[in-house]
Amino acid sequence: MSTDMTSVPATAPLAAAREVTPAPTSPSPRGGAGWARRVAVWLTCGVFAVIFVYPLVWLVSASLKPRQDVFNNKLIPDPFAFGNYAKVLEELPFLQWTLNSVVVGMAAAIAVTLSSALVAFGFAYFQFRGKNALFALVLGSMMLPSAATLIPTYLIWNYLGLASTQVPLWAGNLFGSAFYIFLLRQFFRGLPREIFDAARVDGSGFFGLFWRIALPMSKPALAITFILEFQASWVDLLKPLVYLRDESLFTLPRGLKSVLDQFGQGGQREWEVVMAANVLVVLPMFLLFAVAGKYIMQGISVSGSKE
Amino acid sequence: MRARSLRVLGCVAAISLATAACGGVGDDTAGGDGSEVSFGGETTGGDGKAGGSDNEINVTGSMTTLGFSVEDEIAKARVAEVKQAYPDLDLKVTSGAFDEQQFLSAVAAGKPPSAVYLPRSELGTYAAKGALLPLDDCIEAQGIDMSLYRESAVSQVTYDGQIYGIPEFNSVRLVLANSNALQDAGLSPDDIDVSDWDGVMAASKQLYQTGGSGIQRIGFDPKIPEFFPLWVAAAGGELVSEDGQTAYLDSPEAVEALTYTVSLVDANGGWSDFKTFRDTWDFFGDNNQFVADQLGAFPMEDWYLDVLADVSPNAPVTAMPFKDREGNLLTYATGQAWSVPKGSNNPTAACAFAATMTSTDAWMAAAEASKADRKKSGGAYLGTWTANKEADERIFAEVYEPSGIESLDQAVKVLQSLQDSAIVDPPSPAAAEVKKAWEDAVLRALQGDQSPEEALQQAQKEATEAIADAQ
Amino acid sequence: MRPETRAAYGFLSPWVIGFLGLTLGPVIATFVMSFSDYDVLSSTQWVGAENYRDALDDPHAHAALKNTFFYTALYVPLSIGIALGLALLLQSAGRLKGVFRTVIYLPVVTPPVATGVLFLQLLNGQTGLINNVLGTFALPTPNWTTDPMWIKPGIVIMSLWSVGSVTLILFAALAEVPAHLREAALVDGAGAWRRFYHITLPMISPAIFFSVVVNTIASLQLFSEVYTMYFGATTTPPPEEALFYVVYLFEQAFRDFEMGYAAALSWLLFLIIMAITAVQLVVSRRLVHYRSD
Repeated sequence: MSTDMTSVPATAPLAAAREVTPAPTSPSPRGGAGWARRVAVWLTCGVFAVIFVYPLVWLVSASLKPRQDVFNNKLIPDPFAFGNYAKVLEELPFLQWTLNSVVVGMAAAIAVTLSSALVAFGFAYFQFRGKNALFALVLGSMMLPSAATLIPTYLIWNYLGLASTQVPLWAGNLFGSAFYIFLLRQFFRGLPREIFDAARVDGSGFFGLFWRIALPMSKPALAITFILEFQASWVDLLKPLVYLRDESLFTLPRGLKSVLDQFGQGGQREWEVVMAANVLVVLPMFLLFAVAGKYIMQGISVSGSKE
Repeated sequence: MRARSLRVLGCVAAISLATAACGGVGDDTAGGDGSEVSFGGETTGGDGKAGGSDNEINVTGSMTTLGFSVEDEIAKARVAEVKQAYPDLDLKVTSGAFDEQQFLSAVAAGKPPSAVYLPRSELGTYAAKGALLPLDDCIEAQGIDMSLYRESAVSQVTYDGQIYGIPEFNSVRLVLANSNALQDAGLSPDDIDVSDWDGVMAASKQLYQTGGSGIQRIGFDPKIPEFFPLWVAAAGGELVSEDGQTAYLDSPEAVEALTYTVSLVDANGGWSDFKTFRDTWDFFGDNNQFVADQLGAFPMEDWYLDVLADVSPNAPVTAMPFKDREGNLLTYATGQAWSVPKGSNNPTAACAFAATMTSTDAWMAAAEASKADRKKSGGAYLGTWTANKEADERIFAEVYEPSGIESLDQAVKVLQSLQDSAIVDPPSPAAAEVKKAWEDAVLRALQGDQSPEEALQQAQKEATEAIADAQ
Repeated sequence: MRPETRAAYGFLSPWVIGFLGLTLGPVIATFVMSFSDYDVLSSTQWVGAENYRDALDDPHAHAALKNTFFYTALYVPLSIGIALGLALLLQSAGRLKGVFRTVIYLPVVTPPVATGVLFLQLLNGQTGLINNVLGTFALPTPNWTTDPMWIKPGIVIMSLWSVGSVTLILFAALAEVPAHLREAALVDGAGAWRRFYHITLPMISPAIFFSVVVNTIASLQLFSEVYTMYFGATTTPPPEEALFYVVYLFEQAFRDFEMGYAAALSWLLFLIIMAITAVQLVVSRRLVHYRSD
């Protein structure tokens, strides 16, 4: 939950949840030299853009090629083999896997958002002895490699008879996660104290302060939390590998791994099927990025800017 | 106060976790030990249904299986036989191949499947761990005649003198050569006589071709690490003793086999280029390595003939038997078995199920169904290979008909000749670890990380330790 | 106890319970288990420090550790360097900034499994796109997925494709360097390079340090991409060069059910990560400049 070992480097960042205030850009140099410089910059950008995007273009193109052409490295498939996708959807429970990923991702994201907000509010609003020490512990737990807890956690779920279900994929999130607690605490601390004091005077209880005032005022921070966790849950391979045995319970990454084993190097070498399945796994994340990219990039950008 | 309560909580958590971990199957009440389990043999009398037949067993209730999928006709037909024989049985088949983790966690959680379908090579490991029930009572209750099953298969399911599984399919290896490539290189099938290692090397060099972007055709692919046990047996050795308790991974024969097969791969471009090229084959497609002329010859599993019959029945393939260095027929057999896990909720039904699934009648029905299905889809039916000798004899006498495709019919003849010359992986308490040890060793030698001797010495050490640990 | 304090504990209770039950408890349990022999089926046996002795003597554990260190040592500096370059480029990209930022970030949004599957093909020695391009420029075209020497560099290349998240962190840090500082240096006539070295770099050093720490921890735990590419159901066994520490740990625990041994491996990883992070913290005291604002 904290430092997820399956996440790509630095997607579980340590961050201050404040808006990035872009510094005013330096005055753009004018004249011929400036123009030449700009062209050079744009060209370099273009080269890197191709490096970052072309593999994805290659993937989409390969997924639309007949089997013998998958590796021909041509940009435009000839002929187009849309049947690859039909085959994936026919022969594999891909829709089921997608649905599973959505359910698990939602459960994980909702659980972590609410519980982390609760804890973060506790840290942000109250004054009590030992608070700083406890908060240091929260931060410290972020550095803990999840490998250190993997095996006993598995045995607990096994003991509870839930080791082959989807529950272990999200239930741990009910207890908050250090990074999000930190992120939300920063945000809550920015809320004006007077509003809470006024509500207290009006007779609101502490939970009321949290539920009716802090949460509604923190929608952007909650959105960042929700989306980052949804993404983290969506791409996770390790936990599904450990826990999910029944194909009908697979999430998309676990499903894609089994497609690779079945149709790729471990099996029938129908790489066109593997590539089509791969596109179907990548696509939902790109859609999420298109819709909520702002939150994702904000969540990443603000990390590392403080502490 | 807070600090103390925290400490107490921590201890409680640690202790409860430790106990969760401490409980093993040995402590579980479910199933008890083997002697209390009934496979239905002696309970018959108590039931009102018991009639004159002393073989009448009351198979009711529910049962589950793991590791088996009802996907093809051969599975469907046999499950239908079970349902017909035991209409009162509520059978639930959990699809998917055998998954060790799924099985072990189910057993550890006290909820194992009633019956489990697993590779015979791994059965010894679970028997040694006490996860499976000995089936001697089951065999007696169901009147299964174990002498009908192939000896090599039965030896795999026998651990410490007791039988733990009923053998199912049987898959053997043969050599498949590319007739066009042979002709092209001026060779005849006789030149690929695997008892003559120098001859195979010479032929491989003639068949090997390179061009533009690297290798164009592999001459002879020894199929290692997968088939390494076959090569060791060909050299007159064995990797593990028959009782599975002693490893001989660094025996002179093993070293000789590895040295030779690695030299074959080296003569075909070396492992890195060799594997890179092989990975580009359309192995299961109509442009496979025989059609695309990317391979001279290799030893291969028998099921690949079905693939060829499906996708490229006219591929230029010549089949020939594998042989040891003295010229005797030799093959390497693998297959699955039905076992009953400790703690099975319905051993009687599991036993009846295993007996019916592997019975001659069920195999006959399956073969007929498979043949009909192949006819419908336009592919040639090449027979069904089981570990039940009687079933095989009847299938090839009564069901199988030559397809008329010369290369495939000739291959089936080769397969028939090989069935009784099989070596198998003996039942070992550490089968997976031993296999991993020699597989890794072969790979290290292929990559040139270690010499064959060094690689196998390390593997021998690992395997010996694994077997000792598993005791 | 004051009602306020009681309420505070109430709010914190989910995390405290989770910390004790799902973090501290398991960490302790891992430590306890590392002295046992436990395979899920048989009862636990206490074996003292045998698992640790085995680990010291286990060539696979050595290989896994060596590979992981090699990868981390190669990947972390490269990723920081490239990300810094890209962040600077991004800063001067003007109107293209938004598009370029999205483009750089797309690989980060790609699930690691998908990245693994994709690069398995791109890195193929004979048909892969990467060698295709290298070949066009008459550069060497190694077998990235089968040649023992090139397997790890291939994995580094794959990881570098996802350098976008570090880039964004450094870009955000760069954006916070106050313009007046940069301009002051400009007026002083400091050269671009010196300006960068003496003003910009110290100011973003906390973000760089953060990226180094987080990336190191993540690299030491690399799993998904490598597991996808080389492990699971494959016809040939995975090459030892692709055996990474957490992959080995996973296989020991959940394929071979050597839970005790795997617990010892987890605990060793825990210590290694702590030690490396501690060293990084000490070194950072001299190199990282925190603003006092």
